[in-house]
Amino acid sequence: MHEFSLAIEVINLAQREAEKNMAGSIQEITIEVGDLSGVEADAFESALELLVKDSILENADINIVRTPGKGKCNACNLEFEMKYRMATCPQCQCFPSEISGGEEFRVVSLVVE
Amino acid sequence: MCETCGCGDTNELKIHDRQHSHDHEHDHEHSHDHNHDHNHDHSHTHTHDSVLFTHTHDHGAKKVISLNVDILSDNNRLAQINRKSFEERNVLSLNLVSSPGSGKTTILEKTIKAIIANRKIFVIEGDQQTLLDADRIEKSGAPAIQINTGSGCHLDARMVETAFKKLDVEPNSILFIENVGNLVCPALFDLGEFKRVVVISVTEGEDKPLKYPYMFKSSHLCIINKSDLLPYVDFDVDKTMEYARSLNPNLEFILLSARTGEGMEMWYEWLGKQK
Ligand SMILES: Nc1nc2c(ncn2[C@@H]2O[C@H](COP(=O)(O)OP(=O)(O)O)[C@@H](O)[C@H]2O)c(=O)[nH]1
Ligand SMILES: [Mg+2]
Ligand SMILES: [Zn+2]
Ligand SMILES: [Zn+2]
Ligand SMILES: [Zn+2]
Ligand SMILES: [Zn+2]
Repeated sequence: MHEFSLAIEVINLAQREAEKNMAGSIQEITIEVGDLSGVEADAFESALELLVKDSILENADINIVRTPGKGKCNACNLEFEMKYRMATCPQCQCFPSEISGGEEFRVVSLVVE
Repeated sequence: MCETCGCGDTNELKIHDRQHSHDHEHDHEHSHDHNHDHNHDHSHTHTHDSVLFTHTHDHGAKKVISLNVDILSDNNRLAQINRKSFEERNVLSLNLVSSPGSGKTTILEKTIKAIIANRKIFVIEGDQQTLLDADRIEKSGAPAIQINTGSGCHLDARMVETAFKKLDVEPNSILFIENVGNLVCPALFDLGEFKRVVVISVTEGEDKPLKYPYMFKSSHLCIINKSDLLPYVDFDVDKTMEYARSLNPNLEFILLSARTGEGMEMWYEWLGKQK
C-alpha cells in the first residue's frame, strides 16, 4: 500500500520533469533507494512496475539503485554497514549509532527523448 | 488514477466539510521553468554541489537529466507552507498517528469535551472510507472535516492544506489531525504539524516500536492508551518505553485510558505546555 503511494509520487515527478524539458518520452529512470529510507525497495519496484502502465514511464527502463545503510557508533566511533536502523555496533554492541548514509529516496536521473 | 492524492480512482479523494459536500481537489502543477542545456561532447563527469539544480546534457535526440531530487520533496515543500500558515495563526497543530483502533478518535472526543471551554479545537479526520469519525468529533463539540483517502493509506500535505482552508481554523486554536490508521507511510509524509503524536494501546505488542521504527523515530510524544486493560493483557509498559527510547531518546510518554479518564490530565497538561 505504502509503496504504491510512493510509486505514484515518482510517476508524477517524472511527468513534471518530462514536461519541463519538453520531452516526448522517458527511456530510462534511475531511482536511489537507501536501505534505511523506510522504503522497501522490492515492494516499491513491484508497485512501480504495476502502476507505470499508461503513464509517462510505461516504456522506460527502471533502474533501482540500492544504497547500503551506513552508521557511525556514538560510543566507539566505528563506521559500519547498517543493515537496519536498529543495528547495534559490531565492535562494542552499543546503540544507537549516527546514521551517515542509506536514508536516500530520490530520483537520480532521467533519460528522455 | 488520481494524480494528486494517489487514490486508486479519480473520484476517490473526498474532502467533506460540515455539510458533507463532496468535493474533489486536483491541482496540477505546470512548471514554467527553463533549463540551461549545455552540450558536452562526450565526457561529462563533474560534480554538482547542490542537488537542487536540474542539469541537462544533450546526447543527440536523447537527453540525460540529472536530478537527484528527493521523491518526497513536493510533499515536504507543501508541508513547510502548512507549517508557516499554522505558525502565523498561532495554531497548535498535532498529527495523531496509530494503528487502526488504538483510540485516537476516543482520545479526541474526551479531550474536546474537557478543554473546549478554554481553547478552540478544530479537527481534520483522515479515513479511507467513512464519515464516522468526523461525526463523532462534531458531536463532541468541535468543527471537523473528513478527508476520505479512498485507497490512499495516509494523509499528505496537500490534503491538509485544502482541509485547513475549508475548516477555517481560528487563530490560537488547537488543530488535531487524525491520520489514517497505519504506522508505515504516515511516517514519511510530513503534514507541517508542530508535533507528531503516536498512539499505541496496551492490546498491541510491546514490539510495536521495533516493527515501526520510522514512526517512533519521527514522533515527539507516545501515548500508551487503554491502561484500564492492563490487568487483563500481557503488556509490559516499561519494555515498550525502553524499545521506543532506544530509537528516539527524546520521545515523551503518557500512559492513559481514554475510557476511564485515568492519565488524561497529563495529556491536557502536555497540551498546555506546547507553546
Ligand atoms: N478499554 C478501552 N477501550 C478504548 C479506549 N480508548 C478507545 N477504546 C476503544 O477502542 C476502539 C477503537 O477506538 P477509536 O477511538 O475508534 O480508535 P482509532 O481508530 O484510533 O480512532 C473503540 O471501540 C473504543 O471504544 C480505552 O482507553 N480503553
Ligand atoms: Mg479514528
Ligand atoms: Zn561501537
Ligand atoms: Zn483524487
Ligand atoms: Zn554538465
Ligand atoms: Zn500511505
